Amino acid sequence: MDITIKTQGTETIVTFNGRLDTPAAQQAAAQLEPLQEKAGGTIILDCKDLTYISSSGLRIFLVLRKAASQNGGTVIVRSIGRDIRNVFMMTGFLNLFQIED
Amino acid sequence: MYARQGLLMVLLAALLLEVTSLIQYFYAKKGLRKEADSRAQSEMTATRLRIENYTLSVENDARLLSWALSDFLDNPDELPALITKMMDNNPVIANGFVAFKDNYYPQHGRWYEPVVTRLPEGLVLHQIGSQEHDYFSADWYIKPMQTGDGYWSEPYFDKDGVKKLVVTYSVPVNDDSGARVGILGVDVELDWLNVLVSMVKPYKNAFSTLTSRKGQLIAAPPETLSFEKSLRYESDIYRTGWKISVTIPEDELYGHIKKISTLVLFLQILGLMLLILIIQWTAREQIKLENISASREKIEEELKIARGIQMAMIPKVFPPYPERKDIDIYASILPAKEVGGDLYDFYIRDEKLYFCIGDVSGKGVPASLVMAVTRSLFRTVSAHENSPGHIVTSLNESMSEMNENNMFVTFFCGVLDLRNGNLRYCNAGHNAPVILNTDKSILPVEPNVPLGIVPGMKFQEQEIELRYDDAIFLYTDGLTEAENMNHDFFGEQRMLDALSGLKGSRSHLEEMQKAVESYVGHAPQSDDLTMLFIHYLNDDSSSESEKHLLIHNDIQQIPQLAAFVEAIAEKKQLDHSLSLNLNLALEEAVTNVIMYAYPKGTDGLVDIEAIIREHSLTFIVSDSGQPFDPTSQPQADISLGVDDRPIGGLGIYMVRNIMDSVSYRRSDGKNILTMIKNI
Repeated sequence: MDITIKTQGTETIVTFNGRLDTPAAQQAAAQLEPLQEKAGGTIILDCKDLTYISSSGLRIFLVLRKAASQNGGTVIVRSIGRDIRNVFMMTGFLNLFQIED
Repeated sequence: MYARQGLLMVLLAALLLEVTSLIQYFYAKKGLRKEADSRAQSEMTATRLRIENYTLSVENDARLLSWALSDFLDNPDELPALITKMMDNNPVIANGFVAFKDNYYPQHGRWYEPVVTRLPEGLVLHQIGSQEHDYFSADWYIKPMQTGDGYWSEPYFDKDGVKKLVVTYSVPVNDDSGARVGILGVDVELDWLNVLVSMVKPYKNAFSTLTSRKGQLIAAPPETLSFEKSLRYESDIYRTGWKISVTIPEDELYGHIKKISTLVLFLQILGLMLLILIIQWTAREQIKLENISASREKIEEELKIARGIQMAMIPKVFPPYPERKDIDIYASILPAKEVGGDLYDFYIRDEKLYFCIGDVSGKGVPASLVMAVTRSLFRTVSAHENSPGHIVTSLNESMSEMNENNMFVTFFCGVLDLRNGNLRYCNAGHNAPVILNTDKSILPVEPNVPLGIVPGMKFQEQEIELRYDDAIFLYTDGLTEAENMNHDFFGEQRMLDALSGLKGSRSHLEEMQKAVESYVGHAPQSDDLTMLFIHYLNDDSSSESEKHLLIHNDIQQIPQLAAFVEAIAEKKQLDHSLSLNLNLALEEAVTNVIMYAYPKGTDGLVDIEAIIREHSLTFIVSDSGQPFDPTSQPQADISLGVDDRPIGGLGIYMVRNIMDSVSYRRSDGKNILTMIKNI
């Protein structure tokens, strides 16, 4: 799992690459924790290369989304593939996030 | 009909009684009459003889005197002395006299009649013949003078002599030449006859009279009664022309039998009335009996119908699914009475076999009603519920609610997924079924409590995986508790022994039936007996394979699951997204174990077993950690908004969503989570 974080002004782009399973999510959670401070702006979660996500991964997404909600920010999920979309559908996450192609 | 028969009987009895009474009355009367005849005759005869005795003595005295007088006709003054002598000897004679014919003694005139009269002071002589006392025309003078024979006069009152009622006996007096010169008369007082006659009294109110030739009363009781009906007997007294008669009142004679007859009649009427009452009562009882037997027949008829209805409720056509090769079912139900409280049921929905067996407390009609209710509830609830635990819990709720008669039902419910052999079941106080797999054993079941006792109770379900040719045998206690003549039970061991060999479901039950019948013998069936045999024959399971993965309770080992699933997916040629989902479900399940079953810092293992079948995949995740049931965790509500959404709870939610069946059980100190995916 590779995660890259790029910040331009108030916009932060997080790119996931690989499988976000439980151990990966533990690592990612630590990595993404500072982002909660920037939740006032726009966070774009680029999932083009995200191949797998478990509940631990979803949990990270939800934490960010809650922080944005509290700080008046926006979380955009970009370019999710069919498999990840299915998981989002199953869990009702499609309704929680702004989805972009 | 009974009333008419009864009336006829009473009339017949009355007729019979009356005829008997009449005959009896007739003969009794005849007998009494005979007796009266003989008594009257004998008393009368005795009195007649006594009277004749006197009259004859009077006649004899008179004849003797008249004979003696003929010698003294020349000396008429001697006559009174002779008469007096005779009267001294015969105290009955009141007057003795001689009446000479016209002018026989010229010196005495035309009429000469010297009389000796018995007065209180003694015998007194006087002469009474005169113009005033012209006796030539008197009977007592004329008759003897004409006939030459003695004559008894009519009674008359002797106003000149004794001043009493007297009767005169007169005989002619002849002179030496045989010419009649007058008559000798003796007056006899009649008082003594009164005494004699009054003695003729054969019955208390009977009386006798003595009458003269002309019907004048000579002797009679002081007062004679007159009777409506009476018997009268008469007898002539020799020569005197007198008649003695006896009168017997019929009332007195027959009064007794009349009284008896009245009493008998009264008793008869009483008896007849009693008879009528008895007949009415008997008729009523008879009608009642007929009504009872009629209503019993009706009840039996209705029970037969009820039995038909009850039997129609449960599947009875075997084999039930002739087109299916994966399942073979046979069942039998044998109520101890017309209708019973046992039930079984099964049907297939969405490739799952829903089945149940139950036993209502008690027997007969009440039990059968509860049985019908239970069966209906089972169908209703299981139509939209595929967890046996929920089905049983729901049934218990309904049964407890309406359980006013404290009836309960032991119940076992199972849901067998025909595609993969996964059998989930829930027991409510019923006998544990027998499971026939490689072994033959009693299925481990939670005993729980029967339905209808504890409202609000949550029934836990259990689970077992059936393989090809495994079978489950369900029964009610009518089997194990079938009693022989010694009241010994058939028992579990005999039941297990009878379940042997590889046979079809039908032969298994028939064997069992035979075993029970030969054990019970002629003892009456004590309880309803129900058996259900389910034979799982899914060939799919026969070609199954297994894969194992053992990891430590370390999150870092989670990625191994991906490879594990990948291998299975490859083997089964599953599409990518299904493979990912399976991976996801398995990861969530295993993560739960690592996070919650084992306390932090302890080392433990997580065993993952996959059973791969033609149309299903079964994943069994087990661990030796502390009890943790992920299925009992609160479900995530995915409809909530961002702010309300809890962070956790998604894992098990996704597992349920991906898998067709998820169930947890704790067994042998292990948490066992079984997940099945049909493919």
